[in-house]
Amino acid sequence: MRFRNTVLIALLSSSLMGQSQVMYTPNMTLNGGQSIDLLHVQMHPYTNLKTYDMGIQHKGDKKLEPEAFYVIHKTIKTDLKKTLHPIVFKGKNEALAYTSNYKAKQMGDHLFVMKPAPSFSEIEGVYLQMITKMIVNVAGKPTDWDKELGLEAEIIPLSKPYGIWAGSSFSGMVKASGIPVPYALIEVELLNYEIDIKNHKTGKMLTNAPHQSFKVIEIKANEKGEFTFHIPRKGWWSFNAKGVGHSKKYNDRELSQDAVIWVEAKENK
Amino acid sequence: MKKFCIVTLLSIGAYAHTPIMSCIDEGDGTITCEGGFSDGSSAGGVTFKVEQKGQIILKERLNSQSEINFKKPNEPFIAIFDAGPQHEVYIKSQDIKE
Repeated sequence: MRFRNTVLIALLSSSLMGQSQVMYTPNMTLNGGQSIDLLHVQMHPYTNLKTYDMGIQHKGDKKLEPEAFYVIHKTIKTDLKKTLHPIVFKGKNEALAYTSNYKAKQMGDHLFVMKPAPSFSEIEGVYLQMITKMIVNVAGKPTDWDKELGLEAEIIPLSKPYGIWAGSSFSGMVKASGIPVPYALIEVELLNYEIDIKNHKTGKMLTNAPHQSFKVIEIKANEKGEFTFHIPRKGWWSFNAKGVGHSKKYNDRELSQDAVIWVEAKENK
Repeated sequence: MKKFCIVTLLSIGAYAHTPIMSCIDEGDGTITCEGGFSDGSSAGGVTFKVEQKGQIILKERLNSQSEINFKKPNEPFIAIFDAGPQHEVYIKSQDIKE
């Protein structure tokens, strides 16, 4: 009985662990203005264990649209919710995801925020809401990358989330509604599969991990909610501060409100 | 004191004045270019030029938003953000995306 419980807990943990809200575009650093495609999908970035229907509700009877999707550029907020198109994304399995197109016309940072509707995880019996930031820069002009938005769950960059050489580092601060979260647990994961944004599917696997602890790397923030992580290789990396939002209930069930930010490291050839 | 001032000025010159530019094809027969500096400072009033076959066919100053919009030339061209000697940025028309 004790063994069965242990196995059950391990399975629950492994499923909840490592989930992230992917917000992907092929390149975070653009040399000039251009239209870009974005993909929004809830999955396990490293293991590709499962792809989840975004916004799925308890008993799977309803799938809610994202609550918000917008961009901040030179402090001006533009609503992009109408640009979202529902798609079926094929990771290990097929699930509801979204694509969008955006004209990154002006120089500087384009700070995207995706706030999906909470999605119900059947195995754990909890709702997950991963509030996600991703920043695209045009031509190298720094404008908005360090903006604090006062989100319910938020990672505020202390170093630029783009323009990172593989082998250097990323620093951030975890906050919930503007209040630092001491010792927040942060899951760090490489997006370990190529993304075929046109055909809505994952491609080839990029790395093999020698042990579970390399797949989802866990770090903790300090007493001020700050953290630094040294990025070992090129690619897209997800930083996911788990359950830091103050809202703990949704539709009478447990809610985990996470803060996600994506950073991109490039190889110094 | 004099040395300190010179060092300070050199530092500002070396860092703050790295010029950058981005151009986009608006898809309506016009091109918009935006100039700036790597520290985020404005390029309003800085000279902007368009060169075609070695000839300058447009010479204007960027507006207060550090931008300029102009009719897309029929032939290949080079957009030039001219912030002074050794502070120029060149973008070829074939590198300008829609």
